[in-house]
Amino acid sequence: MSSVIVLTPLIIAGWPAITSAVTAAVSTMGYALCKETGARRHLLADAKTKAEIEIENSEILEAAAGTGEELIVEKDGIRAVFSRDARGALKVCMEGVGYSKQELRRLGQELIGRVTQQYVYHKMITELRERKLAVVGEEVAKDRTIKLRVRNW
Amino acid sequence: MAREEFEIEISSSGKVTVRTVGIKGPACLDFADLFAQIIGKEESRELTHEYYETQTVTQRHLEQKLKR
Repeated sequence: MSSVIVLTPLIIAGWPAITSAVTAAVSTMGYALCKETGARRHLLADAKTKAEIEIENSEILEAAAGTGEELIVEKDGIRAVFSRDARGALKVCMEGVGYSKQELRRLGQELIGRVTQQYVYHKMITELRERKLAVVGEEVAKDRTIKLRVRNW
Repeated sequence: MAREEFEIEISSSGKVTVRTVGIKGPACLDFADLFAQIIGKEESRELTHEYYETQTVTQRHLEQKLKR
């Protein structure tokens, strides 16, 4: 081994890439995509505990198709609403019945981690392909870490 | 020439660890820079014994990758 580097990802993407990452992440966590949006969603949300988390190091690119978008996922009485905040960062608002703010925040952080992981995975695969670096091994560990083995031919 | 490989781990929180394998000399740092450019902010970097060995062919390959 000659070097080990640890990196914190920056999420800089348009809404379609965020949608793909959220969809891929939640499918393995038991969340389901929800079609309900707008006034009804906010009316329901008023009666619940909420925790809002802004994803550090993120920027959702403002494009014709994308601003004002939101993505809602649900599981066991918890609702997570992904959107772009006023500063352009990705945020998630966790809402739930029977959960404390701390529990919602913890679940939100877990969700954000997995969305970030999926974003990084897809970005990495795309960039490696462009540079003609071959993925020769891929596995998901028990702790959900994705392990890739890449070869420079 | 030794086989040049990378072991990449993407944790469930999104943190990325890249280990270079079989890349000797400063070229491994150039590869590390390449991954930092793709992913984001570098938190830490550790050099191991192979860094201090030399490898001239690797440098040529890397320059080709960076040009893309």
